[in-house]
Amino acid sequence: MAHTGTSARREFLAGCRDEAPLLLGVAPFGMIYGIAALAAGVPAWLAQLASAIVFAGAAQLVIVQMLAAGAGFIPIALTSGLLNLRHVLYSASMAEYVRHLPRRWRLLLAYVLTDEAYAVAVLRYQQRHAAAADHAEHTNATADLRHWYFLGAGFTLWAGWQLSTAAGLLFGTTIPPEWELDFAVPLTFIALLTLLLRERAGQAAALVAGLGALAFAALPYKLGLVAAIVLGLAAGAWTVRRLEQAR
Amino acid sequence: MSTTALLLLLVLVGLLTYLYRYAMIGLFASRSLPRWLHALCLHIAPASFAALTASALFVAGGEVVFAFDTPRPWAALVAVLVAWRTRNVLATIGAGMAALYLLKLLFPT
Repeated sequence: MAHTGTSARREFLAGCRDEAPLLLGVAPFGMIYGIAALAAGVPAWLAQLASAIVFAGAAQLVIVQMLAAGAGFIPIALTSGLLNLRHVLYSASMAEYVRHLPRRWRLLLAYVLTDEAYAVAVLRYQQRHAAAADHAEHTNATADLRHWYFLGAGFTLWAGWQLSTAAGLLFGTTIPPEWELDFAVPLTFIALLTLLLRERAGQAAALVAGLGALAFAALPYKLGLVAAIVLGLAAGAWTVRRLEQAR
Repeated sequence: MSTTALLLLLVLVGLLTYLYRYAMIGLFASRSLPRWLHALCLHIAPASFAALTASALFVAGGEVVFAFDTPRPWAALVAVLVAWRTRNVLATIGAGMAALYLLKLLFPT
């Protein structure tokens, strides 16, 4: 069993090591979030706590952006609740690899199942899957410890997110408002949006949601954003059906 | 929004997000994701980011304002072009901020 202990540690550390390069991309978001949270009037302790309890960069940026725009409780809850729904996809995609684990492991892994940890961990599972097909006897002999790898990747991202949030909160107090660093938030949305617009239905969803946000601008508490997103989703679904019919 | 309300909001969103993450590996581990939900999930991010970007750029105080005499819409346009050409997130943010500063320098208000 001592052998299993060292192997588990090795898997955990391998997960940490493979996740580390992604922190370069994540850290600026954590800092932008911290700075924007202060600019929106969120107390520093609460902004830091949010990074631990929500632990989802895009949603945290959305919450801060909407707070700064004077949005109400329900529109913010609906928008960030909708945006985070994509995590169900990651959960579904991970299910076949972690289904056999005890519940406490699955409860723990669910907490670290973010975009970036998912991206690294799923690669490891798929790699070893291919390898397992080649050397079935070998992999049967050694215990499956890949959940330690997943945990290592998730933990590394978690630590990086907390630290970069803290860095943003520290810097945020010293940066003068004339620097307009809050503008980095919509710029982040523009960058992510461009990466996401690969297929026709997604483009339709984005176009309709963007126009909808302007059309419903007058709705109170920024409820127009929720209406715009729902309308965008409808446009996406409609486009998917049209494309299927045309085929 | 009061600090208490904000704390409540964050706990709510955090709880919801955790449930999403746990859903298919815990709550419904034996089932597969329905097709309609799968398709919906793919479009949520583009729709949300588009609505938020449009709102951040062109909505102020519940009104649509096309403030083309201010630097932000033009800096955003530079960011869109850089995002489209490079598909690089950090380059996009950097170019957008640089354009904003340059425009403010060239056309001080």
